[in-house]
Amino acid sequence: MDEFQEILQDFLIESFELVEKLDEDLVELENNPEDLELLNGIFRVAHTVKGASSFLNFDVLTHLTHHMEDVLNKARHGELIISPDIMDVVLESIDLMKALLETIRDTSADAGIDVAECVARLDKISGGDGEVNTPVAAAPVEVAPVVEETVEEDDMDYDNMSPDDLEAEIEKLLQERQAEDKAKRQAKIAAGEEVLAAPPSPEEVEESAAAEPAPVSTPTPPPPPPAPAPVKKAEEPKAAAPAKRAPAAVEQTIRVDVKRLDHLMNLIGELVLAKNRLIKINDDVEERYEGEEFLEELNQVVSIVSLVTTDLQIAVMKTRMLPIGKVFNKFPRMIRDLSRELNKKIELEISGEETELDKSIVEEIGDPLVHIIRNSCDHGVETPEERVAKGKDEIGVIGLKAYNEGNQIVIQIDDDGKGLDTDMLKNKSLEKGIITEKEADSMSDKEAFSLIFKPGFSTAAAVTNVSGRGVGMDVVKTNIEKLNGIIDIDSEINVGTSMKLKIPLTLAIIQALLVGVQEEYYAIPLASVLETVRISKEEIYTVEGKSVMRLREEVLSLVHIGDIFEVERILDASEHAYVVVLGLGTSKLGLIVDTLVGQEEIVIKSLGDYLKGIEGVAGATIRGDGGVTLIVDVVALMSMARDVKATTMIDASAETSSVVEKTKASDYTVMIVDDSKTDRTIMRKALESMGVTLIEAADGQEALNILKSGDHNFDCMLVDIEMPRMDGYTLATEIKKYNKYKNLPLIAVTSRTGKSDRMRGVESGMVEYITKPYSADYLSSVVARNINFKAEFL
Amino acid sequence: MSDKLKDIINKQSEPNIDDSQLDDVVQLVGFVIGDEEYAIPILSIQEIIKPFSWTRVPQVPKYVLGVFNLRGAVIPLIDLRAKFGLQTKKQSDETRFIVMRHEDDVAGFVIDRLTMAIRIKKTNIGPPPDTIDTDDTIIDGVGKQEDKIITILKVNKLLERDF
Repeated sequence: MDEFQEILQDFLIESFELVEKLDEDLVELENNPEDLELLNGIFRVAHTVKGASSFLNFDVLTHLTHHMEDVLNKARHGELIISPDIMDVVLESIDLMKALLETIRDTSADAGIDVAECVARLDKISGGDGEVNTPVAAAPVEVAPVVEETVEEDDMDYDNMSPDDLEAEIEKLLQERQAEDKAKRQAKIAAGEEVLAAPPSPEEVEESAAAEPAPVSTPTPPPPPPAPAPVKKAEEPKAAAPAKRAPAAVEQTIRVDVKRLDHLMNLIGELVLAKNRLIKINDDVEERYEGEEFLEELNQVVSIVSLVTTDLQIAVMKTRMLPIGKVFNKFPRMIRDLSRELNKKIELEISGEETELDKSIVEEIGDPLVHIIRNSCDHGVETPEERVAKGKDEIGVIGLKAYNEGNQIVIQIDDDGKGLDTDMLKNKSLEKGIITEKEADSMSDKEAFSLIFKPGFSTAAAVTNVSGRGVGMDVVKTNIEKLNGIIDIDSEINVGTSMKLKIPLTLAIIQALLVGVQEEYYAIPLASVLETVRISKEEIYTVEGKSVMRLREEVLSLVHIGDIFEVERILDASEHAYVVVLGLGTSKLGLIVDTLVGQEEIVIKSLGDYLKGIEGVAGATIRGDGGVTLIVDVVALMSMARDVKATTMIDASAETSSVVEKTKASDYTVMIVDDSKTDRTIMRKALESMGVTLIEAADGQEALNILKSGDHNFDCMLVDIEMPRMDGYTLATEIKKYNKYKNLPLIAVTSRTGKSDRMRGVESGMVEYITKPYSADYLSSVVARNINFKAEFL
Repeated sequence: MSDKLKDIINKQSEPNIDDSQLDDVVQLVGFVIGDEEYAIPILSIQEIIKPFSWTRVPQVPKYVLGVFNLRGAVIPLIDLRAKFGLQTKKQSDETRFIVMRHEDDVAGFVIDRLTMAIRIKKTNIGPPPDTIDTDDTIIDGVGKQEDKIITILKVNKLLERDF
């Protein structure tokens, strides 16, 4: 029984693959009813399915496909012209065939679907036409016996074959026959008369069989599937055209469980992280052991590992890639049905169907595309009358193309219909309360176009089968954004609409821009980053509590990443900031960050169940240094930005630690920073008389650490300039980075007297400059002045 | 003589009885948070590590410190002091991260210091105090030892997201 199950599985997989292609072929056939190649292809599918299903005892399916085959066979012989009406019946039968296959998949039996009606109609078509015996039709009579003979001869052999092998054999046989037939017909044409085709010479068959890559040992062509097949089979060659369409040599493929590929992808992810770490360590080592011999060797290893990892990643990614044609295949049929339903004439032009993208994306992209194309058919393309009146071709054209653009794949859907009317869009949105009047006025065309993605929006006057419920395009947007993709619309009235879906090639590993805010880092998916600009604070304006800036001709709304992620402002923002311009479809947002770190390849990791659903965070990644960096969810960020109050550039210093009322002299704390013990003692002596608390530090680094620990609240610092580890200027600059200490008086106490020294002191934020030597009174008076020392404590 | 023999035989058989009752012994790992000693079943501990740096995560309660990298996995870090409503204090040499696992949920917990691995008989574990709502508590029971009592925590409750 297991064996049977295995065969059944193979049969189903193969049949579904065949049927998938069938839809496309049939629609094309309708346009080119004379195309013999196409007809043969379609016929073969019906035939293959019939053969295999009769072998597996699926009687209903066999019955249906048998009658389909009859009709198609007639058409192949030119006895029947495929008209749209006939095509409807054929398509219906194909649908039934799909339904049957699905039933078989689910229940292992083909009961429960009534095919009688369809079969009757198929019969009517095949029977209703004259049975003209064309000269060509005579040929099979001669060929048939030969094949039948071989059937008997090879009966045993065939029993031992798997359906796959069998299929390969049939395919081969067909090709041989077609080739022979072509030769025959050429001869016939040359002779200008009827030819009674001679059976193929054994040598010929043997030759072509040997040329086949498939493992065949029998010199005679192996037989087609059982029972009714032989005669049909025999008929086939005579009408067959050169087998351009037939699949060439059997593809060297292997079916792999997707789970295994996913696991492989995860492992590669780990490897990429390890690679990043390795590179970082290599950089560190390089710095430390400059000039050492082993460095070069290490360098080589690191670059090879990094190169191979990248290649490996791409290779594994490719195993998960599927041609987008898999999705595109269903659209010709859809367009055909839609245009008949809507009484429009629409043509679909597909290109780039060989473009590949990740399997998970291929699965997700189908539905959005269906919605968009339905929309184009319903709202975009006009009725033939309207089109003629506008001076356009009666037949509307919808273009569907896919191509690569950098790290993204672009799927573009164009129509030459009536285009999007921005005024109408705005009015409709106003009516439905989606936007306010003010918003409508200030809207750019692009923004107006993107109104069609708003939930609840529909321009259709009435809800039809096809559209008008106002959910479709909303779903499109959510689905595409889920894939980290963006949608771009362009439209011109009466010229058409063009929609571009830009989707990253893969979901697991992405390119990201790393940005810093205060002491934290975040990763922004590079696909959403349009550009980065460096601005000064003066360029930021505030409009109704929101920060904005001018970016060339546009006004860009701004939001500080710190406001979104509740980052504590420990360090003072510098005069300059960086704005990362994020683009999502037509909406743009400027994200203010403190620093730009760079571009890095990151592996997306989930935050797990415990932390899932944090707004604005799409996940996390592990950086080269082993630290975790959060990944920004640009979609969520855009909506969060609307509700965030702009505190961006407002001075936070106002709310620094409330000053504790000083009640006695020792409440004042002064830090003395000097590397010379003597100097520290001199200063201590000078200030001790005041009664203030004194803390000493031997250099800048120590002073900074004391300050950071927060154990004391300093009112003033006396800073020597020349110190080991960190000098006075650097210390002052570092201290001034902290909001909290922006107003902390720093007094330079130094023997440097040059003007440039004093200038540097001022630049780094020193308020006073005392040159050694000084009198104790002078020092204490300067300190007292700077700490607002109350006279009564003296 | 025969009494002595009996005694010996009895003594020898005692450990055997202990062995057969091994199922009734719970192995716990004890740790201190603030002034209290707590314990969790040893089998729910994935590992105990020394503290290292973590990344803050926005929009979470104070006691969720953030996430850290445990050999390639991103794992949340929870400060049990903060979760139990105690003042946060600086990490010391004794601070440890306990990585706990319950089914698929994993998280790291910051504790003040480890005490020891404890074997305790099930009969010595009492239910949580009546004053505590038994359905919602993170207390699994109270373990009685000679000189002290230990609060045993429910790992699945600790790993449950409650915000």
